[in-house]
Amino acid sequence: MNEPYFSATLQSLMEEFSRSGVRELHLRSGDFEIYLSNDPAARGPAVSRLAPVARPLAPTAAAPSVSAPAALPEDAIIIRAPNLGTFYRAPKPGADNYVELGSTISVGDEVCLIEVMKLFTAVRVEEAGTVHAILAPDGAMVEAGQPLFALVRN
Amino acid sequence: MAIKRLFIANRGEIALRIVRAAQALNIETVVAVSDPDRDGAAARLADRAIVIGPASAAKSYLDPRLIVHAAKESGCDGLHPGYGFLSERAILPRLCADHGIAFVGPEPDVIDALGDKLRARAMASAAGVPLVPGSDCVATAADARREGDRIGYPVLLKASAGGGGRGMVIANNADEAEAGFHRASAEAIAAFGDGTLFMERFVPEARHVEVQLMGDGKGKVLHFGERDCSVQRRYQKLVEEAPCAAMPDPLREQLHASAVALAASVHYRNAGTCEFLFDVKRQEFYFIEVNARIQVEHPVSEMIAGFDLVQEQIRIAGGAPLSVAQDEVKLSGHAIECRINAEDVGRDFLPSPGRITRWQPPEGEGIRLDSHMAEGAMIPPFYDSMVGKLIVHGKDRADAIAKLSAALDGFVVEGVPTTIELHRAIVAHPDFVENRIHTRWLEQVLLPERAKRVA
Repeated sequence: MNEPYFSATLQSLMEEFSRSGVRELHLRSGDFEIYLSNDPAARGPAVSRLAPVARPLAPTAAAPSVSAPAALPEDAIIIRAPNLGTFYRAPKPGADNYVELGSTISVGDEVCLIEVMKLFTAVRVEEAGTVHAILAPDGAMVEAGQPLFALVRN
Repeated sequence: MAIKRLFIANRGEIALRIVRAAQALNIETVVAVSDPDRDGAAARLADRAIVIGPASAAKSYLDPRLIVHAAKESGCDGLHPGYGFLSERAILPRLCADHGIAFVGPEPDVIDALGDKLRARAMASAAGVPLVPGSDCVATAADARREGDRIGYPVLLKASAGGGGRGMVIANNADEAEAGFHRASAEAIAAFGDGTLFMERFVPEARHVEVQLMGDGKGKVLHFGERDCSVQRRYQKLVEEAPCAAMPDPLREQLHASAVALAASVHYRNAGTCEFLFDVKRQEFYFIEVNARIQVEHPVSEMIAGFDLVQEQIRIAGGAPLSVAQDEVKLSGHAIECRINAEDVGRDFLPSPGRITRWQPPEGEGIRLDSHMAEGAMIPPFYDSMVGKLIVHGKDRADAIAKLSAALDGFVVEGVPTTIELHRAIVAHPDFVENRIHTRWLEQVLLPERAKRVA
């Protein structure tokens, strides 16, 4: 599967799955792995529980650079892309990422950049928390409203 | 190079129309959607849909940077702007060119030139296209009388600095021209601090006619006949037909030749429309403007030409030559289109978005429906309220009217109020049937008649 049809393929897989009535699907192929479940209480092995319930056109892929340790708590704070653009986790190439899994962040902290035509916009958080999951791959195009991070309240 | 993956920077019925045209050419499609459009018909049919922003058009369909970013990142090598939104903004083709994406439309410099009314008029004049007869600056009442006599009455006196109808007076003879000069000039001084006027022939009962063009960008331009779009309300077209049955053949040939000459003079590329005012009494036509895009009403031309204009647009943007010669464009029969909107006619055409609860479109030979609607589909409140375009093709105008009338009668839409019933009234009106309409007919005749009946 090559970009950008990756996410479209993933989306159709998810749609087929949700229609199928099958309870769980765990697929591994090379370094790609996906876990889908129609059971909201399921605890997936390595994929965010957001995946099966993600909004239809913003699938969150379990690509290697996406870190989602376990199912998210009910009250997780989801930080979404404010607009379409390229998702960058660091302020400039070679620099440290703004945040990593487990980072504690305060209101107003920058967590990533979204770039559109060389115009970079910093995304700031509106609620404090700890980074629980990183839901989009660094350097990938993200769509408006696509989940980027999940935080848990401290 | 032929386009392999096309980005569609639009929504609604035209996005769906473009996806289908691309698929017929075996081209992959990626459609840009705003958040509320993510479940729309175009998004579902396309190979991929990308959410570019929220409902607000300014933050989605009207942001050229978001559009081109999404097109580039999704690997598209072509971009179709549709109509409205960014379709006639030169920044879009410029950004496309910067990123190696073929724009399905004219060169940005041509879009800019045609979008400037004065430059467009100068270009038309240079190409020998007739303009509305008018004057240069008129400085005195005596000048107004002399110019009025020369132009022919009625005339319109307009403030040079003007706009918004202020400093505008209609004069039906020389005495009115003189009196009108004093009034308009005084109004212009009061409104703009400048009493300079100019004069222009006023056509009280004009028709709106327009010629469908397609250029290869190298100076070769084809026409696909003309359309008559005289049923209008507040300059919005409601019904369009092809050909203009009220125009005699020799004048029609001049009309086509004028439009082609103007487009060829700027080496026009892709689809465009040259609009004219048709003065039926004088049997003359005057240039209005060129629309540098595919238009809403293009299907009526497709129906009489048996030719897919949107597919041709995509081929030309991919570098192909025009696929037909002018003598291969055969126009036959008569086509009429009704633009159907979710509007409450009884409440001054109030846009009435909402969910379609019942959808039963007419079907049959010679009936075409360009629509993104279906049972359960949503017309969101953020954009235009178009439900679809019903197009019929008959062997002549009377046949087309009969088909249209039957099709409208069988068209059932529930959940939102629509203009279907108004279209039934238009099509059944003797003035429409006998083709005695003009651009102010709907507002001056049909709507007042209906209002009287209700009162």
